[in-house]
Amino acid sequence: MNEDLCYRQEYAVRGGDFSRAGEVSRRIKNLLKELGLDAAIIRRAAIACFEAEMNVIMYASEGTVHLAVTPADVRIVVDDRGPGIPDIDLAMTEGYSTATKEMRELGFGAGMGLPNINRNADVFRIGSDPGRGTRLEMTFARDGRPS
Amino acid sequence: MSRAPEHPIHINLDKCGGCVHCLTACPTRAIRVRGDKAQVIGDLCIDCGECIRYCPNDAIESRTTSFQDLRAFRYKVAIPATVLYGQFGHDTTPNEILSALRHEGFDQVFELSSICELYASAVEGFLADHPGPRPLISTTCPVVVRLIQRRYPSLCDLIVPVEPPREIAAKILRATLPGVLKLRPEEIGIIHITPCPAKIVSINRPATMAKSYLDGAISIRDIYPRLLQALKKIDESTIMRHLFPANVFSGLGLGWSLSGGETRGLKKHRTIAVSGVRDTIRVLDQVEAGQIKDVDYLECMVCPDGCVGGPLAVENRFVAKSRILRLVSMAGERIGVERADFGPFVRENFLSFQHPVKPAEPPLLDPDPVEALRKAARRDEIVRLLPGKDCGACGAPDCLTLAEDIVRGSADLADCPLIRKEVR
Repeated sequence: MNEDLCYRQEYAVRGGDFSRAGEVSRRIKNLLKELGLDAAIIRRAAIACFEAEMNVIMYASEGTVHLAVTPADVRIVVDDRGPGIPDIDLAMTEGYSTATKEMRELGFGAGMGLPNINRNADVFRIGSDPGRGTRLEMTFARDGRPS
Repeated sequence: MSRAPEHPIHINLDKCGGCVHCLTACPTRAIRVRGDKAQVIGDLCIDCGECIRYCPNDAIESRTTSFQDLRAFRYKVAIPATVLYGQFGHDTTPNEILSALRHEGFDQVFELSSICELYASAVEGFLADHPGPRPLISTTCPVVVRLIQRRYPSLCDLIVPVEPPREIAAKILRATLPGVLKLRPEEIGIIHITPCPAKIVSINRPATMAKSYLDGAISIRDIYPRLLQALKKIDESTIMRHLFPANVFSGLGLGWSLSGGETRGLKKHRTIAVSGVRDTIRVLDQVEAGQIKDVDYLECMVCPDGCVGGPLAVENRFVAKSRILRLVSMAGERIGVERADFGPFVRENFLSFQHPVKPAEPPLLDPDPVEALRKAARRDEIVRLLPGKDCGACGAPDCLTLAEDIVRGSADLADCPLIRKEVR
């Protein structure tokens, strides 16, 4: 892909900062709106990004959301420094959660985060180094897909 | 009546000092200062009137219906917002205020509080019959509707399709008055009395119907001196009070002008009431992100404390709120509207929108998707060059907006007086 035609931006997310929950996904959503992307892809990207952002806030100490928009797709990579995920297959199971009671009281941690990202992204990769951190890579195709 | 321009808010160039107060006050960053005068960008303005509050020179004005415009009608009806009852002293009763309006040339004055109750019942019915997505959003504040159309197009479908009380009242009058009075519809003028600059927009360019049932809106600010005079005359002779029987006020409806007044009528549902334009934007952001859970109904009023904080009111909102709360407690919890009476209205969709609220085109960085990407990247580069003081001296409200104006071609990097010379 021609680098000239790629918009890149990074957003920092602080672990435990529930008061700013959703801030990054909101900024990304507003940017995608200005860029004139289709409403369906904006919705999918915003939902997936929100889930990934919440994972950083809930479990990690800090993280970075890397956004890249090209004429063909939207790519979001979320890197965090945190406990990592020992068993990815288990974490991808709907309803499985390690959220604390407090997180659940805030309405989060229902065990739907990663499955929800998987559902909304066209390509989803997850890698984790237990004890060090997690990396989520999601791609959303701009030419649309049946949703 | 002359065709009004799209936005009622305009700058009085003789008074505008070219300062930056309105720039930073505007929640949608719709104002720029060019050549030492403020300008409103129509596509971005949501008519909230925040700028009116903050202008130190009183240079921001709102076009509303003039008293001369009223001459076009043979029969004139006033529908005052219940905020009006909080604008005069504790010893001035709502009935006296309504009499004063008649004294000022209105042939009839329609009391709105009972219609507010009707609306609450209609919304209650809609919530019960429509289990779909939540939270549903109130239509009462026209600025919220406008904000959703422009900034939250995906939330348009959550707006409850029930016309707000002022339109319901006007529709009832339109349906009944021509026959009763033997007048042609265009001979009857139905005028809203309001503290809100956006009502005139919702009348001239309604979001949910082809034509509003109202003919115009007069601001409380404009009519206040006349009503004060009229109230003095009424004091001299109480005959008006005898000529016109006292209205029955709904306690629920009287509280409508205060934030939370509307949700107070929806006892069976989980509701939240938000006031103030910035808090409204924050909450709508959360609704759009799916973060507002377990809420059935959302009342948003962009004025602080609700309509009582409208920029075209006269009395400060704290005093007005205290007076209205007193009226609410005097009227009590008595229900003025019987469900059985308005059942036919609801069934015949009398209270419903003609068409749903449609999203308005968002202002894209560029219609060409590739060019839009380039402009977004260029905007970020420019932001890095700018000092980040958000001082407004360039004429844009903040550095990010200046950068955006530059990539859109309406401003220049040299507009920033603080930027380092070597960069320039």
